[in-house]
Amino acid sequence: MGREVAESCFDGLIIEMVSAYGRRFYATKPDLASRRIEAIGFQVGHQLIERYTVERPRFSDHLEAIKFICKEFWSELFKKQIDNLKTNHRVGTFVLQDNKFRWFTRVLIDPSSEDNEASQGSSSEATSMLLHFPCGIIRGALSNVGISCAVSADASNLPSCESGILVFALKFSI
Amino acid sequence: MIASVAVVGHQNNPLYLQSFTNANDALKLHHIVHCSLDVIDERVNNPKRSVSTLNESYLGLLYPTESYKVYGYLSNTKAKFLVVTTDLDVKDADIRSFFRRFHAAYVDAVSNPFHVPEKKIVSRTFAQRVSGIVKAFAAGTNG
Repeated sequence: MGREVAESCFDGLIIEMVSAYGRRFYATKPDLASRRIEAIGFQVGHQLIERYTVERPRFSDHLEAIKFICKEFWSELFKKQIDNLKTNHRVGTFVLQDNKFRWFTRVLIDPSSEDNEASQGSSSEATSMLLHFPCGIIRGALSNVGISCAVSADASNLPSCESGILVFALKFSI
Repeated sequence: MIASVAVVGHQNNPLYLQSFTNANDALKLHHIVHCSLDVIDERVNNPKRSVSTLNESYLGLLYPTESYKVYGYLSNTKAKFLVVTTDLDVKDADIRSFFRRFHAAYVDAVSNPFHVPEKKIVSRTFAQRVSGIVKAFAAGTNG
């Protein structure tokens, strides 16, 4: 019943959405832009998890839900699973690590650098804007199965994002 | 035959109620659905004997009364689906396949970007699909 779309269209859409919110709509307020992008991701994750948990039995605890996100949900979205999952039960945080984040393989950071430090700063700002969308997706997906948490992401090894490692940190509010 | 179907959100707010009998009994329908919610809560929160019932989506016969039976189904996202039927003997497999198709239609309706989560489902396509599934079910059990 579904029709398929080329993945490059999807990549282009995300990059354009982030740049539209960051540079045109809320150019002077990057916090607001990042919150709007995260909210879009929230709704997408909320609806996607509905679709991907159809035939599954219900999750018995948080760990099972996170494992579902790491395996099935991530492979539906990015065709691979999360490479590394660490937990800290005491504090209630989970750390998800993806060694080759699919959306970054197409992101080109502008290498024009009149001033080396400035270009480094703006390239990391650009990728951090891009990161709010997958954070929102994870947060939306978890909230629909009844788990509320805060998600933050960190991309190390910039600007060579192709081999960059992306780390999502989930903090639970229970 | 199926008297009505209902979808209830995870905060027990009604998302979709449709009756397929010709009488104007919306109030009675609301009442039946409301009572069934208690039974669902009880089943989910107090697992009897086996742990497997805690994780299954299909909840089975919730409670029979003299004129109808109510079947329940709980999705992973705590959306509850209820079917009120006046049939006296319904095969388990039929009801399970009905819920599978009902759930698929619900997922498509909720994926609509214009649908506001936790508000009523207003999509006409969803209503038509549900009527189609109900008719197919009735034809399947009669024929």
